[in-house]
Amino acid sequence: MNRRAFLLGAARALQAAPSPGFRLVDITAPAGIHFHHNSGAYGAKLLPETMGPGCAFLDYDNDGWLDILLINGMDWPGHKKRRTTLKLYRNNGNGTFTDVTERAGLAVEMYGLGVAVADYNNDGFPDIFVTCVGQNRLFQNTGKGHFLDVTAKSGLGGRTAFSTSAMWFDYDRDGHLDLFVCNYVKWAPEHDVFCSVDGKNKSYCTPEAYRGSTCWLFRNRGNGTFEDVTARSAIFDTSSKSLGVAMLDYDRDGWPDLIVANDTQPNKLYRNQRDGTFEEMGVKAGVAFSEDGKARAGMGIDAADFTNSGSPGVAITNFDNEMMALYLASSRAAFSDIALKTGIGRLSRSSLGFGCAFLDADLDGWLDLIAVNGHIDATVRNVPGNVGYAQPPHLFLNQRGTAFMDAAGQAGAGFAAPKVGRGLAYGDFDRDGDLDVLMTTNQGPAYLYRNDVANGNKSLRLRLTGTKSNRDAIGATARLETPAGAQSRTVKSGSSYLSQSELALTFGLGKQASASRLVIEWPSGRVEEHKNLRPGHYECREGDLLKGPDRY
Amino acid sequence: MAPRRSPTLGLLAGLAVTLSAVAVYSGYTIAQLRSLRRLQSETIGRNRRDSLLLLRIQNNLNSLSLAMRDMLDSSEPYPLTAWQSQFHRIRTDLEDAVRQEAMVSPSNRTSGQRDYLAVSITRFWDALERIFTLAQGGREDEARTLIRLSLQARHDALTTAVARLQVHNNESDQQAAAAAQEIYSRAERNLYLFLAAMLLLVAATSLYLVLDNRRVFRQITALSERRSELARQLITSQENTFRYISRELHDEFGQILTAIGAMLQRADRGTPANDAPLRADLQEVREIVQSTLDKIRALSRALHPIALDEVGFETALDNYLPGFEKQTGIAVRYEKMGSSQRVERQMGIHLYRILQEALNNVARHSQSKRALVRLGFEPGRVVLEVEDEGAGFGNITERSGMGLTSMRERTELIHGRIEFLNRAGGGAIVRLTAPLAATEAHAEA
Repeated sequence: MNRRAFLLGAARALQAAPSPGFRLVDITAPAGIHFHHNSGAYGAKLLPETMGPGCAFLDYDNDGWLDILLINGMDWPGHKKRRTTLKLYRNNGNGTFTDVTERAGLAVEMYGLGVAVADYNNDGFPDIFVTCVGQNRLFQNTGKGHFLDVTAKSGLGGRTAFSTSAMWFDYDRDGHLDLFVCNYVKWAPEHDVFCSVDGKNKSYCTPEAYRGSTCWLFRNRGNGTFEDVTARSAIFDTSSKSLGVAMLDYDRDGWPDLIVANDTQPNKLYRNQRDGTFEEMGVKAGVAFSEDGKARAGMGIDAADFTNSGSPGVAITNFDNEMMALYLASSRAAFSDIALKTGIGRLSRSSLGFGCAFLDADLDGWLDLIAVNGHIDATVRNVPGNVGYAQPPHLFLNQRGTAFMDAAGQAGAGFAAPKVGRGLAYGDFDRDGDLDVLMTTNQGPAYLYRNDVANGNKSLRLRLTGTKSNRDAIGATARLETPAGAQSRTVKSGSSYLSQSELALTFGLGKQASASRLVIEWPSGRVEEHKNLRPGHYECREGDLLKGPDRY
Repeated sequence: MAPRRSPTLGLLAGLAVTLSAVAVYSGYTIAQLRSLRRLQSETIGRNRRDSLLLLRIQNNLNSLSLAMRDMLDSSEPYPLTAWQSQFHRIRTDLEDAVRQEAMVSPSNRTSGQRDYLAVSITRFWDALERIFTLAQGGREDEARTLIRLSLQARHDALTTAVARLQVHNNESDQQAAAAAQEIYSRAERNLYLFLAAMLLLVAATSLYLVLDNRRVFRQITALSERRSELARQLITSQENTFRYISRELHDEFGQILTAIGAMLQRADRGTPANDAPLRADLQEVREIVQSTLDKIRALSRALHPIALDEVGFETALDNYLPGFEKQTGIAVRYEKMGSSQRVERQMGIHLYRILQEALNNVARHSQSKRALVRLGFEPGRVVLEVEDEGAGFGNITERSGMGLTSMRERTELIHGRIEFLNRAGGGAIVRLTAPLAATEAHAEA
């Protein structure tokens, strides 16, 4: 056997590894997405450079095809060499995208980090909130293919901070989406601290070096302006160093609660007290610390019903040697970290995770978990035993709610290649019924992975439109019953890290040809029930009959 | 030699002392270990938990200090009252930590220290309460001044109080470590003591056993000597008796019977030839006399062969064997090896008696029709072997116990060695080896 034959044999043996039933195919270049993140890095290693960028799936032109938004930074003042802006790519409906940033009026220079997308003014077109180092921006969708910067007009102007993730949700259930913004630390270029990973060269700092900064909560007055209710709602907390935020209703009272991932500070769980205020329950509920009582470096976060039990669990990505957290409610008011028990702890021990999201990648009816990884500083290569600056993402396949196995390596060679991952979002951009994956890297390209499900599993997709509730139906929970069991999904903004996924819901049906019952709990409190559903795409308007299914 | 008491009682007493020493030492060690464990769980473990809680308290104080700084530097566009929930969270955690700390605090903490901490905390929250009241009333500047003047001082006092507790805790930790060290060294010292005591005890017991063994051995040796002496005296007196009776029989009764025979001959000659019945009677009486004489002579020889005294062992042997063949019908082959040496009389008697006994055994028990007697002279010693082709010794020992015993005793008297062997191919061998020179000492018994 010569070397060539041996290599071919080895390649075949690798291909023979058990297939996860789907492939994530890198179509970034063929789709026409040519993006490179500009962190503005010029050598001074300023803290924000290592944090971004985020990304989002949204249908800005309401044509039924998901478009792509990629956030970007800019050159630092005094070191300007080029002009970079965020990018909006319009979906052409044929697997390719067109850069429409200029046309959409979004070619604005800013040091952007994250994004939250929702129809805050209930006009039927998604609006964009971009978090920045400095002043955050709110872009209102005119519905005519372009956006207006309404930051000042909406009352969000005049505030500078180091904002990271943001989330739209209707905490007071008045039908108008409110805005939650995570802030990281008190930072200014002139106060940047010297840190070193390898003991010689300057590297990006972990946040212990800086003072915390409070998150913000802005209440939507319903007239296009916002009111800062940070202090009044008791969200105010200057000790937090927040990077990720997710919505969940952990006490099942119908009012959205909040969970915030803090970096080197205890995570916060804000229980909605239904009177416009929140009570912080993180320590009591057991999500503030790791199981051994340590405040970890929380980055990305997502909350979803991954056990199909009806109650949400929470995943949080952390620093290397800290393991991811996978909190599951062990009683009505308390969570325990089951990362080790489910295998995720061991598999994620050496990864430094950022974006993470629960999605049913193989459409088997159980939510899988994707986490993208990458270190904060390239000098970490000089540290022996470290997994490296670029790190492979995790694709944890859910084994019926009790265990996870990492199938990143089997889902496609390009997907598992090490990257300096940051943002992560999912959505069905090619309308074939499965969930595709969008990923950004720090000072690197963005990646679009098309999901090709080959195991014959079917899905049921559901787009909710609120009438009494907020139009995006954020906060609505849908529960689908099939002969194989029940699953629940919640319409949500936020989650992951700096990023936003599509708002439509996807239920994996496996080999089931139908679902017996669908129950929708709208944020307005209305509960609707639909029967006898088949695979396909459904449109659901609050108080109306289901439309569909459209076959893919 | 005076009879001595048995050593068992002494040994049992020693064992009892040893066992109780082990028990006492084990009990002592367990007690030490328990006290160490108690010290560790009660003091060291508690100090560790206490230190962790003091760290948590300090962490809370640090959070308070950061929050106070945030309130002062006016970088947030929020009223001072916005900090209330943050302070409330810290207060909840701080009070929980203080409560837990009080439960695990070192037992030697003075009530003064406790009170100082409690008072400092109360004063801090009181000041904060006043500040928030001022802030709620819109008097933010006054509130900020109060933070600078009063709250920070109280925070400092609180920090000092906690630092003092930590120092105190550290001291208590050191004391506990010293106490543990003391327990360790005490246990070590006692272990050495115990080992030394054990060593002494073992040495004493061994010495006692050695001395006692020697005494017992001496007793046994003396007893054995006495027994040998008795056996020798017994055998000698038996031999003397036999010789005396043998001589009496030979000399006295032999003479008498010879005389009776001669007188009967004369009487016969004096009896008329025609008196046939009388002559026949006389002839019969003479034959009886002759037969009695023969029997007496044979008995005399059997009791003590005169030849042994007069011509020595070898000749006595030569005389004895044909008689034995004739009496028993067993064919005896006689082999002699080496040149003859002088066998002293007493030794000769013993050799002769042993040979007699061995051959008697052949006749009585072996069912052999042939026997072999081998006499060998080697430099300084004589070897006498009696061999037969019969049943062997497998079943002979218990039946002729007395005979064998007497052979062993005689062998011992002449310092020889006797072996009872089974011959390959059936039959038995009795082999006697005796020194020739060493017998001189026992020549006169």
